[in-house]
Amino acid sequence: MSSLAAVLAQAAPGLTAGPAAAAPTPTITVPDIEWTALLPILVLGLGAVLLLTLTSLARGTVTRSGYAIYTVLVATGAMATAAPLWGRVHAWDHLGKWELSPPYGPFSAVAGAIGVDGFSVFITLLIGVAVILGALLADDYLRREGIDGPEYYVLLLLSATGGVIMAMANDLIVLFLGLETLSIAVYVLAAIHLKRVQSQEAGLKYFVLGGFSSAFFLYGVAMVYGATGSTNLVQIKDLLAVKVPTHNALLLIGLGLMLVGLGFKVAAVPFHSWSPDVYDGAPSPVAAFMASGVKAAGFAGLTRAFLLGFGQFASDWQPVLYFLAAASMLVGAIVGITQTNVKRALAYSSINHAGFMLMALQAASPKGVTGLLFYLATYTFMTVGSFGIATLAGRTGDGHHDLADYRGFSRTNPALAGLFVLFLLGQSGFPLTSGFVAKFGSIAAAVDAGSWHLAVIGMVSAAISAFIYLRIIVAMYMAESDTEAAEKAPKAARIKVPFGAGLALVACALATIGFGILPNGLNRVAGEAEPVLVKEPVPAAASGADGAGLTGLDLTTIPTTPTTR
Amino acid sequence: MSSYLPVLVLFVLAVAFGLLSLLVSITLSPKARSQAKEAPYECGIVPGREAPERFPVKFFLVAMIFIVFDIEIIFFFPWAVVFRELGGYGLAVIGIFAALVFESFVYLIGNGALEWGPRQRQRRAEIVSPDRTLTSTIRRVGAEGRPAALEPAALAPAAHHAPGHGDHGHGDHGAAA
Repeated sequence: MSSLAAVLAQAAPGLTAGPAAAAPTPTITVPDIEWTALLPILVLGLGAVLLLTLTSLARGTVTRSGYAIYTVLVATGAMATAAPLWGRVHAWDHLGKWELSPPYGPFSAVAGAIGVDGFSVFITLLIGVAVILGALLADDYLRREGIDGPEYYVLLLLSATGGVIMAMANDLIVLFLGLETLSIAVYVLAAIHLKRVQSQEAGLKYFVLGGFSSAFFLYGVAMVYGATGSTNLVQIKDLLAVKVPTHNALLLIGLGLMLVGLGFKVAAVPFHSWSPDVYDGAPSPVAAFMASGVKAAGFAGLTRAFLLGFGQFASDWQPVLYFLAAASMLVGAIVGITQTNVKRALAYSSINHAGFMLMALQAASPKGVTGLLFYLATYTFMTVGSFGIATLAGRTGDGHHDLADYRGFSRTNPALAGLFVLFLLGQSGFPLTSGFVAKFGSIAAAVDAGSWHLAVIGMVSAAISAFIYLRIIVAMYMAESDTEAAEKAPKAARIKVPFGAGLALVACALATIGFGILPNGLNRVAGEAEPVLVKEPVPAAASGADGAGLTGLDLTTIPTTPTTR
Repeated sequence: MSSYLPVLVLFVLAVAFGLLSLLVSITLSPKARSQAKEAPYECGIVPGREAPERFPVKFFLVAMIFIVFDIEIIFFFPWAVVFRELGGYGLAVIGIFAALVFESFVYLIGNGALEWGPRQRQRRAEIVSPDRTLTSTIRRVGAEGRPAALEPAALAPAAHHAPGHGDHGHGDHGAAA
């Protein structure tokens, strides 16, 4: 910031005004970096770069499943580095044997660009889980499809890096940076199946529409900057607490544009049209990651930008989220029941779920955030499980996703069919599965916030969407198989479940049942994962002459009528 | 908002100038339409063949690598301007950035982006059968109909590999051991 201002001041003194730029010899204050807060990001990002470098330098030396094992280890490492952060945020003085260093409680780091609170750590862990499951599912898939290589895993890790940056962002520019890191990797992931033309098409569609949505988001950020004079959420919040901008329109337009950009990422309804095509075309493990990790990151961005940064403007953005939630739930459920392709049906069900999560978010209350996080956590397992079954059932070529291909699935593959039923029932919100508790939490949050009508819409859409899942179950259990050979010799058509995918499916099933029967533990953790905006504690070294521009907010430097800037 | 007025004025002037130039050239220029005049390139030799042409995809890869460096240089310029003020921190940051950019270059070279000439297949294939040797796979002309005892013993398991396998099989079969 101030370096740019200095350059501008040298080039044309009339362009900028302000105390920092007027100084004749500018000194640039280097931000104090709290490395431990950045560790999850660094582990994921450097892990990806290291994998790419090593495999480029020594090609063909990686053993079978080596990439997947490496990716699982890196993601586990990132989660392990996030665990002490959770302890620090909750003011534990030690985690196991380790002493945790103060400051305790939520804190922000890197000159207020990164915020570490329960929410960001929770989402970090969730993205780590999504990466692990995505790597386990992909291991055999990539070999089966003949596209094995480090690229998938590198992109998966890079995309997760972006997701974690989004979850920790305390600054709209940092949020955008995370969004782009996340998205660009996923665009390529969607197109990674070189032999399937649908995959290429999905990648291109996602790229073009995603590029548009990123532009919308960035334009919104620019508008917000124009209205408030800052992109830092802490500074924006502090400014808005002191004075309401006279030219409100600029800020509201900015918020609207940002909502478009983030709404695209979570596939909320007016911006959902890409998702069925992309989920269908993209390789199934990639679709699993998009529905879990990318969605979690998108909701993290929404929560941080809207709930934290613009909490005072809740009465302005709540109606918009209300509409998005209602439309997502209804369109997802109603259009979903007409689908004859299982992956497309799952895509519409994912839109429906996004509606439920938006419903929790629009409550703009701690209970709403708890509901959102619980929903995200349980949904991650259910959707990865569902797409995991689709990965296996798609067979070589990844093309057998028609409802007709699932006929008689229960006789050829009874175990997989049973798991699929569990995941589908979970998604429909069947009692004793985690989906029920998640939907309950979301609806309860909406009712608490007084959005009765939205809660009713949610319940109706849950009833409609149950038909999507029942249709698949009926195809698996009650319809005869198309090929008589499969009917006569069911064992011949049995799919061999590889170890990695089997492990992922069992983990997802255990989570779906476990969080359904005993939801209290996860609910408590989700309740403790509250998002907080903390002003950067001004370090002693930087509190001198030019420190104010980079660290804590000095309200006097912000013009009283920001739009005249 | 008033500070944006010069930008608006400049924008209007730019559009007006463009429109004016077009208008003047349409109204004042003498018209002499002929087929040669309507051709995409009016001057020079009349094109004898289609402009689109096949060219090796390697050129595209080289162009992509060039863009990688291009982007890197773009980010180097603002850093170089405030190099002294940023000091060691700036040097470290730009070093990390350059390392990451070069990393992509390592990947490109590692995957043969700069290898010219006919494409060499680097398919990692599973070894088909440990019994297969040069003598067992090569089919001998005139071997049919002779007593089986004369055939090499290992011919039978490799029999389903049709003749002509050698045409597309010159990848490194044994590399994946």
